[in-house]
Amino acid sequence: MPRIKAIARKEMIHLLRDRRTLVLIALMPFMQLITYGYAINTDVKHLPTAVYDQDRTSMSRRLTEAFEQSAYFDITDRPASFEAVRQAIDRGKVKAGLIIPPGFMRDLLAGRQAELQLIIDGTDSNPANTAMNTSQAIVTQYMLRQGLLRTDGEPPVVFKPRLWYNPDLKSPFFMVPGLVGLLLQLLIPMITATAIVREKERGNIEQLLVTPVKPWEIILGKLIPYVGVGLLIALTIIASANLLFAVPIRGNPLTLFVLTMLFLTVCLGFGLYASTVAENQQQASQIIMFFAAPSILLSGFIFPRESMPWPIYGIGYFIPLTYYLKIVRGIILKGLGYDDLWGEILPLVAICALVLGLSIKRFHKRLE
Amino acid sequence: MSVPAIEVRELTRRFGRQTAVDRVSFRLDYGEIFGFLGPNGAGKSTTIRMLCGILAPSSGSATVAGHDVGKDPERIKLSIGYVSQKFSLYSDLTVQENLEFYGSVYLLEGERLRGRIEQVYALTGLGEYRTRLAGVLSGGWKQRLALANAILHEPRVLFLDEPTAGVDPLSRRALWELFYKLSASGVALLVTTHYMEEAERCNQLAFISGGRILRMGSPQELKSRLAGRLLEVECRPLLKASAAFERMVGLTGLTAYGTTLHLNVQDEREARTRIAEIARSEGIELTGVRTIEPSLEDVFAVIENEEEARGPHAAD
Ligand SMILES: Nc1ncnc2c1ncn2[C@@H]1O[C@H](COP(=O)(O)OP(=O)(O)O)[C@@H](O)[C@H]1O
Ligand SMILES: [Mg+2]
Repeated sequence: MPRIKAIARKEMIHLLRDRRTLVLIALMPFMQLITYGYAINTDVKHLPTAVYDQDRTSMSRRLTEAFEQSAYFDITDRPASFEAVRQAIDRGKVKAGLIIPPGFMRDLLAGRQAELQLIIDGTDSNPANTAMNTSQAIVTQYMLRQGLLRTDGEPPVVFKPRLWYNPDLKSPFFMVPGLVGLLLQLLIPMITATAIVREKERGNIEQLLVTPVKPWEIILGKLIPYVGVGLLIALTIIASANLLFAVPIRGNPLTLFVLTMLFLTVCLGFGLYASTVAENQQQASQIIMFFAAPSILLSGFIFPRESMPWPIYGIGYFIPLTYYLKIVRGIILKGLGYDDLWGEILPLVAICALVLGLSIKRFHKRLE
Repeated sequence: MSVPAIEVRELTRRFGRQTAVDRVSFRLDYGEIFGFLGPNGAGKSTTIRMLCGILAPSSGSATVAGHDVGKDPERIKLSIGYVSQKFSLYSDLTVQENLEFYGSVYLLEGERLRGRIEQVYALTGLGEYRTRLAGVLSGGWKQRLALANAILHEPRVLFLDEPTAGVDPLSRRALWELFYKLSASGVALLVTTHYMEEAERCNQLAFISGGRILRMGSPQELKSRLAGRLLEVECRPLLKASAAFERMVGLTGLTAYGTTLHLNVQDEREARTRIAEIARSEGIELTGVRTIEPSLEDVFAVIENEEEARGPHAAD
């Protein structure tokens, strides 16, 4: 134990005196937060909208006006068929389509329910999200203004906003929790590997080897400070997501902590492995970038995996970040717990055992 | 006979096809300084690394502080100190932090650790640099730090691989004073060096080349083998003379020293006659021929000459 403590302490001093790494650790989370957080706060107004009014009555016109006056929807197109609405959305001419059925006014006045459809292009999650929420409010207000009330309490207008192309509505809310995974994946293996390789490069390891210290004590001692760094990064992002950008944390923070530690261990193990393969710091960073790039692209951090061709989709199963993204998003956004996440936890545990086992074995070999 | 600090029997290490250390045997007692001399690539560092337990021997055996190198390398680590050829402490840690770190690795703690650090400060004079980063120290102070670090846990055997390389003459002398103090306190020291005046200070010397020990003995013993067979020849022009004497019958070594030549010969009287003859026939101006006491440098010049004459080792 005292040896591990001594090594961890020494490693901490290295870290605190290494300006470049410190700046990287401090700046990266903020740069990423600004990049993705900016998207959250952009209010999206004046969404180009097509109205397919099959009723053409005073009431249907007033409804259209209500949409327009909200300033969130600009009526830019009045197609003459449902097919034409679909085409306009497909081509990106409009972002939303309001479909008013024939007999809208007649039904309402007769006390029957009328069905109103709004189709929203979900590709761009942010405006789609806004459109979802505001349209609901517009319709409710419209019903009040028109004095449409039913004795049985059922809404007179059955409003059905529907999302196309991105039914889960992957919002910036969706991106920010993912940043925890992204940053751990980008930073932790890199600083771990360089810390170990540097020791080899500068010949420090020769001196360490003639002491009675055991290889596992070296590994553990060197990793401890980086566990701290990893947790600090995770905490920074989650706290700023919550405090600055109002991303709600629905799940259990303890579960999140435990599973973040698991992913962090994978990242540390990966850095350790790279350090046993690389001869110098440059090689170490090359190896890590070689794996980081596909991790970010194929894990679903930016592009939804569901839209990938199957061989590429399959590769995602071998990427730890894939599982951690589901975990961190699931816990933060959907309030999931262990029971919902076994499908992600088990593969992550397996990868963790594999990476750690391999790298400890190689580390031993390298010392000989 | 007392228990030796180091006993090496036929120790061999191969790297692929190359034999870096070839059946090396020697013995070192506590309180003695053993010097390793030899050109670069001779196998000095490799031998030391095997004795420190960080490199496995290919064959042969050795005990260090009573523990077998092959079977018990971990036990050895507690009884030895090692100053490696390349400065291998942490440049971004201060002198004090380096010592604290290595002390803790040897499980020194609290008062005992602080006490030992003060002791090595007193011994080496490093105290005034305690808050200095190790990386900014001069070569001499770096080596003092490396030594301080190696003796913190009071090892009984010290391995010093070129501890004075790149160190100014003043610091070199100071370091050797420290080596003496340590050996006087019963520590066994194995030192590699390139400097003859340092070799002169060892109790035992081994001249190693191509992985093999070519000669071994105390400086006195090594020199006595040449006694009465070394001639200092004062002559001009030096270059021409050296070329002419080189082919002389009965010559075993020739080295130039400033304005004189040192000739190692098989028979002194015969040689004096031959030298005079050659000088006359070649038109060399001879101003003096004296028998002199050999220095270690002469000894090694002879050893190298003999080795060259014998040809590359690969043959046997
Ligand atoms: N780890 C190694 N792998 C391969 N060859 C090595 C290794 N270490 C030393 N050698 C070789 O062994 C020989 C002896 O080296 P070394 O012991 O460092 O010599 P010295 O210390 O006397 O200068 C050299 O030819 C060197 O290239
Ligand atoms: Mg060497």
